[in-house]
Amino acid sequence: MNQTTGSRATRILGVGALVALAVMLVFGLVFSPPEVDQRDAVRLMYIHLPSVAVAYTGFAITLVASVIHLRKGSVFWDLVAGAAAEIAVLFTGFVLISGALWGKPTWGVYWQWDPRLTSTTVMFIMYLGYLALRRLDLPPEVRSRRAAILGIISFINVIIVHYSVQWWRGLHQGQTLGVDTKLDGMMLFTLFLSVVAFMTVGAWLLIHRFRVAWLEYQIGLLGFEHALAERRAENETSGLYGSGA
Amino acid sequence: MHWEYVFAGYGIVFASLVVYVVSVLYRGRELSRQVPDDRRRFLD
Amino acid sequence: MTELDLTPQQPAAPRSRPWRNWLIMGGLALVAGVVLYQALTSARVFFLNVDEAVEQRATLGDDTFRMQGTVISEPETAADGALLFTVSFGGADAEIRHVGDEPSNLFKLGEQVVAEGHWEGRVFESSQILVKHSEEYVEDNPDRVDYELDETVPEAG
Repeated sequence: MNQTTGSRATRILGVGALVALAVMLVFGLVFSPPEVDQRDAVRLMYIHLPSVAVAYTGFAITLVASVIHLRKGSVFWDLVAGAAAEIAVLFTGFVLISGALWGKPTWGVYWQWDPRLTSTTVMFIMYLGYLALRRLDLPPEVRSRRAAILGIISFINVIIVHYSVQWWRGLHQGQTLGVDTKLDGMMLFTLFLSVVAFMTVGAWLLIHRFRVAWLEYQIGLLGFEHALAERRAENETSGLYGSGA
Repeated sequence: MHWEYVFAGYGIVFASLVVYVVSVLYRGRELSRQVPDDRRRFLD
Repeated sequence: MTELDLTPQQPAAPRSRPWRNWLIMGGLALVAGVVLYQALTSARVFFLNVDEAVEQRATLGDDTFRMQGTVISEPETAADGALLFTVSFGGADAEIRHVGDEPSNLFKLGEQVVAEGHWEGRVFESSQILVKHSEEYVEDNPDRVDYELDETVPEAG
């Protein structure tokens, strides 16, 4: 019997993710050239942008799963929403950290209350709130319903973050893969590679994290059934609801 | 130039990722032991 | 009757105390409030362009704000250590006198900057220079030499 959350699919995906990460590291740190102005600081782009990709995707999965949960009430989609949000929050943390470390050598500061940076922080905090809500001591159906509603509302943040560089003036540069972008060949290739690597890691993590949530749910059910059985046994011996006249 | 920021960034991100991965796998292993086979839908 | 699994099971994961979770929620709401306040007061208009800052010079008085423009003069260091240069945007120019932390290595002629400071007469007294990098990424490798030569051609010819 399999005693882990692994399966054939995750093992294949896992090996793929490891290989992709290794290739990405070699390209990101060795093969790709420094940038004319930013020098080697540009290498932070290869962890900053892929983290954004994973975070956005994760929050989008939470959105879709939350909608399905509200319509169908299925536990499966509730757990998918929670698992995706947790991973997306982690990668949003990576976005903020790598961004700060990239900001210092380029802008001259780690942090500014720029619209992009501020909205990303608001997004991060709101989804932390979503994760906290999922842990509140509430009846499971109530909790998952509220979580789904918050999971849908919070997605507004993703849209605000994405368009913040167009809507408001700020220090942050525009969309890297936008119309005005000019990214030399080797850098573009390394960026592509790093996005593929991070997305594979994200997918692998999502499956494992979902399975952990599923196991927790099953254990909860077992505990409930166990308590129910005990109650029944008690009632039978005390004869309260015994033969029923 | 600026390698200190690059290494700090890659270091923090990859170290945190490893910690998270290990914690998820560990929890999965612990919980798997407590769940009987017929309850393991979505796990194989 | 369905058969119940009566083998001892681990109890459901122990719940953390409810008050602690509400405290976390409250803390998060508080942080969100602070961030939103910062966003509304500071990031609402992150900077004024040089032309706007020049136009509003009288009303701005000695208020602290950020001004954005392109560096159009080779930065010089004054005798007292201040950094002197001119920025331009939207057809208006402004002289900047910067005293404070040195800007990042990206700071040079032709680069877009955001300076934080205030007007002192016609000179902008800056205490912080931020370099606004564009979304252009150019590889730095030896093959680039001919590009640099290309740029010098108009001057030479």
